[in-house]
Amino acid sequence: MSAIGALEKTQLTAAQLKELLDRGEKLVLLDVRNEEEYRRWPIESRHPIRMLNIPYYHFVETPDTAVAQVPRESPIVAVCAKGGSSAWVVEEILLPRGYRAANLEGGMQAWGRFYQPRLVPEAEPVFRIWQLERPARGCLHYLVAYGPQHRHAIVIDPPRHLEAILHLVDTHQLKITHILDTHAHADHISGGVALAQKTGAPYYLHPYDGIHPIDVLPATIPYEMTKDGQTFMLDHARLQVLHIPGHTLGNTALYLEGDGKRFLFSGDSIFIYSIARPDLGGRGEAWSPLHYKSLFERLLRLPEDTVVLPGHFSQPREARPDGVFAATIAELKQRNPDLQPRSQSEFVQYMLSSLPEFPKQYIEIKRVNIGLLQPSEEYADELEFGKNVCALADAYRA
Amino acid sequence: MSAEPINVKQELDVRGAKCPIPIIKARQEINRIPVGEVLRVIATDPGSVNDFKGWAQTAKNIELVRQEESTDSSGQRLFIHYLRRLA
Repeated sequence: MSAIGALEKTQLTAAQLKELLDRGEKLVLLDVRNEEEYRRWPIESRHPIRMLNIPYYHFVETPDTAVAQVPRESPIVAVCAKGGSSAWVVEEILLPRGYRAANLEGGMQAWGRFYQPRLVPEAEPVFRIWQLERPARGCLHYLVAYGPQHRHAIVIDPPRHLEAILHLVDTHQLKITHILDTHAHADHISGGVALAQKTGAPYYLHPYDGIHPIDVLPATIPYEMTKDGQTFMLDHARLQVLHIPGHTLGNTALYLEGDGKRFLFSGDSIFIYSIARPDLGGRGEAWSPLHYKSLFERLLRLPEDTVVLPGHFSQPREARPDGVFAATIAELKQRNPDLQPRSQSEFVQYMLSSLPEFPKQYIEIKRVNIGLLQPSEEYADELEFGKNVCALADAYRA
Repeated sequence: MSAEPINVKQELDVRGAKCPIPIIKARQEINRIPVGEVLRVIATDPGSVNDFKGWAQTAKNIELVRQEESTDSSGQRLFIHYLRRLA
Protein backbone atom coordinates (compact mmCIF):
# COMPACT_ATOMS: atom_id res chain seq x y z
CA MET A 1 0.00 0.00 0.00
CA SER A 2 1.34 3.45 -0.85
CA ALA A 3 1.74 5.91 1.96
CA ILE A 4 -0.89 8.22 0.50
CA GLY A 5 -3.34 5.35 0.26
CA ALA A 6 -2.36 4.56 3.81
CA LEU A 7 -3.60 7.95 4.96
CA GLU A 8 -7.10 6.86 3.97
CA LYS A 9 -6.76 3.95 6.41
CA THR A 10 -6.83 4.27 10.14
CA GLN A 11 -3.49 2.53 10.75
CA LEU A 12 -0.10 3.68 9.46
CA THR A 13 3.15 1.75 9.74
CA ALA A 14 6.37 3.51 10.75
CA ALA A 15 7.64 3.07 7.16
CA GLN A 16 4.51 4.70 5.75
CA LEU A 17 4.77 7.60 8.19
CA LYS A 18 8.44 8.10 7.24
CA GLU A 19 7.53 8.24 3.56
CA LEU A 20 4.85 10.86 4.23
CA LEU A 21 7.25 12.94 6.33
CA ASP A 22 10.04 12.74 3.72
CA ARG A 23 7.67 13.90 1.01
CA GLY A 24 6.58 16.86 3.12
CA GLU A 25 2.92 15.74 3.07
CA LYS A 26 0.74 18.21 4.88
CA LEU A 27 -0.38 16.46 8.04
CA VAL A 28 -0.69 17.11 11.73
CA LEU A 29 1.22 14.88 14.13
CA LEU A 30 -0.94 14.57 17.22
CA ASP A 31 1.22 13.15 20.00
CA VAL A 32 -0.99 11.94 22.85
CA ARG A 33 1.79 10.93 25.28
CA ASN A 34 2.31 12.84 28.50
CA GLU A 35 4.22 16.12 28.17
CA GLU A 36 7.44 14.75 29.68
CA GLU A 37 7.75 11.88 27.20
CA TYR A 38 6.81 14.12 24.29
CA ARG A 39 9.39 16.72 25.28
CA ARG A 40 12.11 14.11 25.60
CA TRP A 41 11.40 12.31 22.32
CA PRO A 42 9.27 13.94 19.63
CA ILE A 43 9.03 12.67 16.04
CA GLU A 44 10.99 14.93 13.70
CA SER A 45 10.87 15.68 10.01
CA ARG A 46 13.19 17.45 7.62
CA HIS A 47 10.21 19.48 6.43
CA PRO A 48 8.33 21.91 8.68
CA ILE A 49 5.52 19.97 10.26
CA ARG A 50 2.64 20.81 12.54
CA MET A 51 3.02 19.07 15.90
CA LEU A 52 0.47 18.97 18.66
CA ASN A 53 0.87 17.42 22.09
CA ILE A 54 -2.44 16.70 23.78
CA PRO A 55 -2.05 13.84 26.27
CA TYR A 56 -4.72 11.16 25.80
CA TYR A 57 -6.09 11.64 29.32
CA HIS A 58 -7.33 15.06 28.21
CA PHE A 59 -9.49 13.21 25.67
CA VAL A 60 -10.68 10.91 28.48
CA GLU A 61 -11.41 13.75 30.87
CA THR A 62 -12.74 16.57 28.70
CA PRO A 63 -13.06 15.23 25.15
CA ASP A 64 -14.83 18.26 23.68
CA THR A 65 -12.27 20.74 24.99
CA ALA A 66 -9.39 18.54 23.82
CA VAL A 67 -10.87 17.98 20.36
CA ALA A 68 -11.44 21.72 19.91
CA GLN A 69 -7.61 22.11 19.76
CA VAL A 70 -7.24 19.64 16.88
CA PRO A 71 -7.32 21.31 13.44
CA ARG A 72 -9.57 19.91 10.75
CA GLU A 73 -7.79 21.12 7.58
CA SER A 74 -5.14 18.38 7.41
CA PRO A 75 -5.14 14.64 8.08
CA ILE A 76 -4.14 13.72 11.62
CA VAL A 77 -1.57 11.07 12.52
CA ALA A 78 -1.89 10.16 16.18
CA VAL A 79 1.13 8.89 18.10
CA CYS A 80 1.69 7.47 21.58
CA ALA A 81 4.19 5.20 23.34
CA LYS A 82 2.99 1.84 22.03
CA GLY A 83 0.05 2.69 19.79
CA GLY A 84 -2.82 1.89 22.18
CA SER A 85 -3.84 5.31 23.42
CA SER A 86 -3.43 6.93 20.03
CA ALA A 87 -5.61 4.20 18.44
CA TRP A 88 -8.24 4.91 21.08
CA VAL A 89 -8.11 8.67 20.37
CA VAL A 90 -8.45 8.01 16.63
CA GLU A 91 -11.24 5.47 16.85
CA GLU A 92 -13.29 6.72 19.78
CA ILE A 93 -12.76 10.45 19.53
CA LEU A 94 -11.58 11.71 16.13
CA LEU A 95 -13.23 9.45 13.54
CA PRO A 96 -16.73 9.69 15.10
CA ARG A 97 -16.39 13.49 14.91
CA GLY A 98 -15.61 13.39 11.21
CA TYR A 99 -11.81 13.84 11.32
CA ARG A 100 -9.47 12.26 8.79
CA ALA A 101 -7.16 10.50 11.21
CA ALA A 102 -4.78 7.55 11.31
CA ASN A 103 -2.87 5.91 14.11
CA LEU A 104 0.86 5.17 14.08
CA GLU A 105 0.77 1.41 14.60
CA GLY A 106 3.00 0.36 17.49
CA GLY A 107 3.62 4.00 18.47
CA MET A 108 7.07 5.27 19.40
CA GLN A 109 8.19 1.71 20.09
CA ALA A 110 7.68 0.83 16.41
CA TRP A 111 9.10 4.20 15.30
CA GLY A 112 12.21 3.53 17.40
CA ARG A 113 12.72 0.17 15.69
CA PHE A 114 12.32 1.47 12.16
CA TYR A 115 15.35 1.68 9.87
CA GLN A 116 15.35 3.07 6.37
CA PRO A 117 18.07 1.87 3.98
CA ARG A 118 19.22 4.23 1.22
CA LEU A 119 21.90 3.68 -1.40
CA VAL A 120 24.75 6.17 -1.43
CA PRO A 121 24.93 7.03 -5.16
CA GLU A 122 28.62 8.06 -5.18
CA ALA A 123 29.64 4.52 -4.29
CA GLU A 124 28.53 3.01 -7.59
CA PRO A 125 29.78 1.11 -9.46
CA VAL A 126 32.76 0.22 -7.26
CA PHE A 127 30.77 -0.41 -4.10
CA ARG A 128 27.15 -0.55 -3.07
CA ILE A 129 26.80 1.33 0.17
CA TRP A 130 23.52 1.31 2.07
CA GLN A 131 23.10 3.95 4.72
CA LEU A 132 20.49 2.76 7.21
CA GLU A 133 18.82 5.69 8.87
CA ARG A 134 17.17 5.17 12.24
CA PRO A 135 15.06 8.33 12.17
CA ALA A 136 13.75 8.12 15.72
CA ARG A 137 17.21 8.19 17.26
CA GLY A 138 19.34 9.99 14.71
CA CYS A 139 21.58 6.96 14.18
CA LEU A 140 23.20 5.90 10.90
CA HIS A 141 24.42 2.37 10.19
CA TYR A 142 26.17 0.99 7.11
CA LEU A 143 26.21 -2.05 4.89
CA VAL A 144 29.00 -1.92 2.29
CA ALA A 145 28.95 -4.47 -0.54
CA TYR A 146 32.15 -5.00 -2.50
CA GLY A 147 33.93 -7.37 -4.87
CA PRO A 148 32.65 -9.06 -8.04
CA GLN A 149 28.88 -8.52 -8.39
CA HIS A 150 28.99 -6.87 -4.96
CA ARG A 151 28.43 -10.19 -3.26
CA HIS A 152 30.59 -9.61 -0.20
CA ALA A 153 29.77 -7.06 2.43
CA ILE A 154 30.96 -5.47 5.63
CA VAL A 155 28.72 -3.97 8.29
CA ILE A 156 29.74 -0.82 10.14
CA ASP A 157 28.10 0.12 13.46
CA PRO A 158 25.28 -2.45 13.33
CA PRO A 159 22.19 -1.57 15.39
CA ARG A 160 20.43 -3.63 18.04
CA HIS A 161 17.64 -4.62 15.62
CA LEU A 162 19.19 -6.60 12.78
CA GLU A 163 16.11 -7.29 10.64
CA ALA A 164 16.68 -4.44 8.17
CA ILE A 165 20.31 -5.48 7.56
CA LEU A 166 19.48 -9.18 7.34
CA HIS A 167 16.72 -8.38 4.87
CA LEU A 168 19.21 -6.61 2.57
CA VAL A 169 21.69 -9.47 3.02
CA ASP A 170 19.00 -11.97 1.94
CA THR A 171 17.62 -9.90 -0.91
CA HIS A 172 21.04 -9.25 -2.45
CA GLN A 173 22.54 -12.62 -1.46
CA LEU A 174 25.43 -11.03 0.39
CA LYS A 175 28.10 -12.75 2.41
CA ILE A 176 29.14 -10.70 5.40
CA THR A 177 32.91 -10.81 5.82
CA HIS A 178 33.59 -8.23 8.55
CA ILE A 179 31.56 -6.49 11.24
CA LEU A 180 33.06 -3.37 12.78
CA ASP A 181 32.03 -0.97 15.48
CA THR A 182 33.81 2.36 15.11
CA HIS A 183 33.77 2.55 18.93
CA ALA A 184 31.89 1.22 21.96
CA HIS A 185 28.68 3.22 21.64
CA ALA A 186 27.06 5.01 24.56
CA ASP A 187 23.81 6.06 22.90
CA HIS A 188 22.57 2.82 21.36
CA ILE A 189 22.99 -0.89 21.82
CA SER A 190 25.23 -2.48 19.22
CA GLY A 191 24.11 -5.50 17.22
CA GLY A 192 27.73 -6.42 16.46
CA VAL A 193 28.12 -9.50 18.62
CA ALA A 194 24.68 -10.86 17.70
CA LEU A 195 25.35 -10.33 14.00
CA ALA A 196 28.71 -12.07 14.30
CA GLN A 197 26.99 -15.06 15.92
CA LYS A 198 24.37 -15.16 13.15
CA THR A 199 26.77 -14.82 10.22
CA GLY A 200 30.05 -16.25 11.48
CA ALA A 201 31.86 -13.06 10.43
CA PRO A 202 34.39 -11.62 12.90
CA TYR A 203 33.41 -8.63 15.00
CA TYR A 204 35.99 -5.85 15.46
CA LEU A 205 36.44 -3.16 18.09
CA HIS A 206 39.43 -1.12 19.22
CA PRO A 207 40.75 -2.62 22.49
CA TYR A 208 40.84 0.75 24.28
CA ASP A 209 37.04 0.67 24.05
CA GLY A 210 37.04 -2.84 25.50
CA ILE A 211 37.40 -1.24 28.92
CA HIS A 212 34.43 0.52 30.44
CA PRO A 213 35.63 4.09 31.07
CA ILE A 214 33.61 4.63 34.25
CA ASP A 215 33.61 1.12 35.74
CA VAL A 216 37.17 0.42 34.56
CA LEU A 217 36.19 -3.18 33.88
CA PRO A 218 37.16 -5.24 30.82
CA ALA A 219 34.79 -6.42 28.11
CA THR A 220 33.35 -9.91 28.33
CA ILE A 221 32.20 -10.01 24.69
CA PRO A 222 34.16 -11.86 22.02
CA TYR A 223 35.85 -9.39 19.64
CA GLU A 224 38.85 -8.99 17.40
CA MET A 225 41.05 -6.00 18.15
CA THR A 226 41.59 -3.28 15.59
CA LYS A 227 44.62 -1.02 15.58
CA ASP A 228 45.66 2.18 13.91
CA GLY A 229 46.73 1.69 10.31
CA GLN A 230 45.33 -1.83 10.10
CA THR A 231 44.10 -2.49 6.56
CA PHE A 232 41.45 -4.92 5.43
CA MET A 233 41.62 -5.89 1.75
CA LEU A 234 38.09 -5.87 0.35
CA ASP A 235 38.78 -7.42 -3.04
CA HIS A 236 40.73 -4.61 -4.79
CA ALA A 237 39.66 -1.99 -2.29
CA ARG A 238 41.23 -1.14 1.07
CA LEU A 239 39.53 -0.38 4.33
CA GLN A 240 41.90 1.32 6.75
CA VAL A 241 41.40 1.75 10.48
CA LEU A 242 42.19 5.25 11.75
CA HIS A 243 42.52 5.40 15.52
CA ILE A 244 41.14 8.82 16.44
CA PRO A 245 40.82 9.02 20.24
CA GLY A 246 38.69 11.83 21.64
CA HIS A 247 35.03 10.86 21.73
CA THR A 248 36.21 7.60 23.27
CA LEU A 249 39.77 6.40 23.86
CA GLY A 250 39.36 3.60 21.33
CA ASN A 251 37.45 5.69 18.82
CA THR A 252 38.13 4.85 15.17
CA ALA A 253 37.06 6.00 11.75
CA LEU A 254 37.18 3.70 8.73
CA TYR A 255 38.66 4.95 5.47
CA LEU A 256 37.55 3.07 2.36
CA GLU A 257 39.46 3.54 -0.87
CA GLY A 258 39.05 1.74 -4.16
CA ASP A 259 39.21 2.61 -7.88
CA GLY A 260 39.34 6.32 -7.17
CA LYS A 261 36.43 6.30 -4.69
CA ARG A 262 37.08 7.53 -1.16
CA PHE A 263 34.75 7.26 1.82
CA LEU A 264 35.24 7.96 5.47
CA PHE A 265 32.92 6.19 7.88
CA SER A 266 33.44 8.75 10.57
CA GLY A 267 31.39 7.08 13.33
CA ASP A 268 31.24 9.55 16.21
CA SER A 269 33.86 12.12 15.21
CA ILE A 270 32.75 14.38 12.37
CA PHE A 271 29.03 14.81 11.79
CA ILE A 272 27.47 16.93 9.06
CA TYR A 273 26.86 20.08 11.11
CA SER A 274 28.58 19.22 14.36
CA ILE A 275 31.18 16.98 15.94
CA ALA A 276 31.13 14.29 18.62
CA ARG A 277 31.37 15.36 22.25
CA PRO A 278 34.49 14.46 24.24
CA ASP A 279 32.97 13.87 27.67
CA LEU A 280 30.91 10.66 27.56
CA GLY A 281 33.76 8.73 29.14
CA GLY A 282 33.74 11.15 32.07
CA ARG A 283 37.10 12.69 31.02
CA GLY A 284 36.09 15.62 28.85
CA GLU A 285 39.00 17.86 29.81
CA ALA A 286 41.65 15.21 29.36
CA TRP A 287 40.22 13.87 26.11
CA SER A 288 39.46 17.19 24.36
CA PRO A 289 43.07 17.78 23.22
CA LEU A 290 43.16 14.24 21.80
CA HIS A 291 39.91 14.95 19.99
CA TYR A 292 41.41 18.13 18.51
CA LYS A 293 44.42 16.26 17.13
CA SER A 294 42.23 13.46 15.76
CA LEU A 295 39.87 15.82 13.97
CA PHE A 296 42.13 18.60 12.75
CA GLU A 297 45.47 16.88 12.34
CA ARG A 298 44.15 13.59 11.02
CA LEU A 299 40.66 13.47 9.54
CA LEU A 300 40.58 16.93 7.99
CA ARG A 301 43.87 16.16 6.23
CA LEU A 302 42.27 13.36 4.21
CA PRO A 303 41.72 14.12 0.50
CA GLU A 304 39.16 16.91 0.07
CA ASP A 305 36.89 14.79 -2.13
CA THR A 306 36.52 12.03 0.49
CA VAL A 307 32.82 11.46 1.16
CA VAL A 308 32.16 11.45 4.90
CA LEU A 309 29.41 9.10 6.07
CA PRO A 310 28.74 9.86 9.76
CA GLY A 311 27.32 7.74 12.57
CA HIS A 312 24.69 10.29 13.58
CA PHE A 313 22.68 13.27 12.55
CA SER A 314 21.20 15.84 14.89
CA GLN A 315 18.41 17.14 12.66
CA PRO A 316 16.66 15.38 9.77
CA ARG A 317 17.20 18.48 7.62
CA GLU A 318 20.93 17.67 7.53
CA ALA A 319 20.10 15.10 4.84
CA ARG A 320 20.79 15.98 1.21
CA PRO A 321 17.78 16.24 -1.12
CA ASP A 322 18.32 12.55 -2.01
CA GLY A 323 17.89 11.69 1.67
CA VAL A 324 21.51 10.61 2.25
CA PHE A 325 23.47 12.08 5.15
CA ALA A 326 26.87 12.74 3.55
CA ALA A 327 29.29 15.53 2.67
CA THR A 328 32.84 15.77 1.36
CA ILE A 329 35.72 16.89 3.55
CA ALA A 330 35.85 20.11 1.47
CA GLU A 331 32.15 20.79 2.12
CA LEU A 332 32.49 20.07 5.83
CA LYS A 333 35.41 22.50 6.18
CA GLN A 334 33.14 25.15 4.69
CA ARG A 335 29.91 24.57 6.49
CA ASN A 336 30.44 22.66 9.73
CA PRO A 337 30.60 25.29 12.50
CA ASP A 338 32.54 22.98 14.84
CA LEU A 339 35.27 22.40 12.24
CA GLN A 340 36.14 26.05 11.69
CA PRO A 341 39.82 26.86 12.30
CA ARG A 342 40.61 27.20 16.00
CA SER A 343 43.75 26.79 18.06
CA GLN A 344 43.82 23.74 20.29
CA SER A 345 43.10 25.77 23.41
CA GLU A 346 40.26 27.70 21.71
CA PHE A 347 38.83 24.42 20.52
CA VAL A 348 39.01 22.78 23.96
CA GLN A 349 37.30 25.73 25.58
CA TYR A 350 34.69 25.85 22.79
CA MET A 351 33.92 22.17 23.23
CA LEU A 352 33.75 22.15 27.00
CA SER A 353 31.36 25.11 26.93
CA SER A 354 29.04 23.36 24.45
CA LEU A 355 28.30 20.12 26.25
CA PRO A 356 24.70 18.95 26.36
CA GLU A 357 23.27 17.04 29.33
CA PHE A 358 24.93 13.70 30.07
CA PRO A 359 22.20 11.04 29.93
CA LYS A 360 22.85 8.67 32.81
CA GLN A 361 21.70 5.66 30.78
CA TYR A 362 24.77 6.16 28.55
CA ILE A 363 26.97 4.62 31.23
CA GLU A 364 24.64 1.63 31.29
CA ILE A 365 24.48 1.29 27.48
CA LYS A 366 28.29 1.06 27.37
CA ARG A 367 28.07 -1.74 29.93
CA VAL A 368 25.68 -3.56 27.62
CA ASN A 369 27.90 -3.01 24.59
CA ILE A 370 30.94 -4.64 26.13
CA GLY A 371 29.02 -7.45 27.78
CA LEU A 372 28.99 -6.26 31.41
CA LEU A 373 25.18 -6.30 31.44
CA GLN A 374 22.51 -8.29 29.55
CA PRO A 375 19.31 -6.21 29.46
CA SER A 376 15.79 -7.53 28.92
CA GLU A 377 14.10 -6.34 25.73
CA GLU A 378 11.97 -3.97 27.81
CA TYR A 379 15.00 -2.49 29.60
CA ALA A 380 16.87 -2.19 26.29
CA ASP A 381 13.95 -0.13 24.94
CA GLU A 382 14.06 2.01 28.06
CA LEU A 383 17.82 2.59 27.62
CA GLU A 384 17.30 3.57 24.00
CA PHE A 385 14.49 6.03 24.82
CA GLY A 386 14.94 9.39 23.11
CA LYS A 387 17.28 10.76 20.54
CA ASN A 388 21.05 10.45 20.70
CA VAL A 389 23.00 13.33 22.25
CA CYS A 390 26.46 12.37 20.99
CA ALA A 391 27.13 15.74 19.35
CA LEU A 392 28.05 19.09 20.84
CA ALA A 393 24.92 21.04 21.71
CA ASP A 394 25.33 24.30 19.92
CA ALA A 395 25.64 23.38 16.27
CA TYR A 396 22.31 25.12 15.66
CA ARG A 397 23.01 28.09 17.90
CA ALA A 398 23.73 30.36 14.95
CA MET B 1 6.82 10.21 50.11
CA SER B 2 4.89 9.29 53.26
CA ALA B 3 4.62 5.64 54.13
CA GLU B 4 1.54 6.06 56.33
CA PRO B 5 -1.23 3.58 55.55
CA ILE B 6 -3.94 4.90 53.26
CA ASN B 7 -7.53 3.92 53.83
CA VAL B 8 -8.54 2.39 50.51
CA LYS B 9 -12.22 2.20 49.54
CA GLN B 10 -11.90 0.37 46.24
CA GLU B 11 -9.23 -1.49 44.32
CA LEU B 12 -8.77 -1.68 40.54
CA ASP B 13 -6.52 -4.35 39.07
CA VAL B 14 -5.33 -3.43 35.56
CA ARG B 15 -2.30 -5.71 35.46
CA GLY B 16 -1.36 -6.51 31.87
CA ALA B 17 -3.47 -3.67 30.45
CA LYS B 18 -1.79 -1.09 28.22
CA CYS B 19 -2.73 2.55 28.04
CA PRO B 20 -5.34 3.98 27.72
CA ILE B 21 -7.18 1.16 29.57
CA PRO B 22 -5.85 1.86 33.11
CA ILE B 23 -6.93 5.49 33.03
CA ILE B 24 -10.27 4.86 31.32
CA LYS B 25 -11.12 2.21 33.93
CA ALA B 26 -9.80 4.32 36.79
CA ARG B 27 -12.04 7.18 35.65
CA GLN B 28 -15.09 4.85 35.70
CA GLU B 29 -14.20 3.52 39.18
CA ILE B 30 -13.53 6.98 40.63
CA ASN B 31 -17.01 8.02 39.53
CA ARG B 32 -18.46 5.13 41.55
CA ILE B 33 -16.78 5.81 44.91
CA PRO B 34 -17.95 8.49 47.36
CA VAL B 35 -16.24 11.89 47.44
CA GLY B 36 -13.23 11.82 49.78
CA GLU B 37 -12.55 8.10 49.31
CA VAL B 38 -9.44 6.54 47.76
CA LEU B 39 -9.10 4.18 44.78
CA ARG B 40 -6.02 1.98 44.58
CA VAL B 41 -4.94 1.05 41.02
CA ILE B 42 -2.50 -1.80 40.39
CA ALA B 43 -0.83 -1.56 36.98
CA THR B 44 2.11 -3.21 35.23
CA ASP B 45 2.72 -0.59 32.54
CA PRO B 46 5.72 1.60 33.55
CA GLY B 47 4.21 4.40 31.45
CA SER B 48 1.34 4.57 33.94
CA VAL B 49 3.54 6.45 36.44
CA ASN B 50 3.80 9.64 34.38
CA ASP B 51 0.36 9.19 32.86
CA PHE B 52 -1.40 9.04 36.24
CA LYS B 53 0.55 12.11 37.35
CA GLY B 54 -0.48 14.03 34.26
CA TRP B 55 -4.07 12.81 34.44
CA ALA B 56 -4.45 13.81 38.09
CA GLN B 57 -3.22 17.32 37.25
CA THR B 58 -5.68 17.53 34.36
CA ALA B 59 -8.73 16.09 36.07
CA LYS B 60 -10.64 18.46 38.28
CA ASN B 61 -11.78 16.08 41.01
CA ILE B 62 -8.79 13.78 41.51
CA GLU B 63 -5.87 13.96 43.89
CA LEU B 64 -2.95 11.59 43.33
CA VAL B 65 -2.21 10.70 46.93
CA ARG B 66 0.75 8.42 46.37
CA GLN B 67 2.54 6.21 43.82
CA GLU B 68 4.44 3.08 44.78
CA GLU B 69 6.55 0.58 42.93
CA SER B 70 6.85 -3.05 43.97
CA THR B 71 7.30 -6.54 42.59
CA ASP B 72 4.87 -9.45 42.72
CA SER B 73 5.81 -13.05 43.57
CA SER B 74 6.68 -13.82 39.91
CA GLY B 75 9.05 -10.87 39.68
CA GLN B 76 6.63 -8.72 37.68
CA ARG B 77 7.09 -4.98 38.36
CA LEU B 78 3.96 -3.34 39.75
CA PHE B 79 3.06 0.34 39.69
CA ILE B 80 0.47 1.25 42.31
CA HIS B 81 -1.44 4.50 42.23
CA TYR B 82 -3.66 5.92 45.02
CA LEU B 83 -6.29 8.37 43.82
CA ARG B 84 -8.73 10.34 45.98
CA ARG B 85 -12.03 11.57 44.63
CA LEU B 86 -12.26 15.26 45.56
CA ALA B 87 -15.69 16.20 44.27
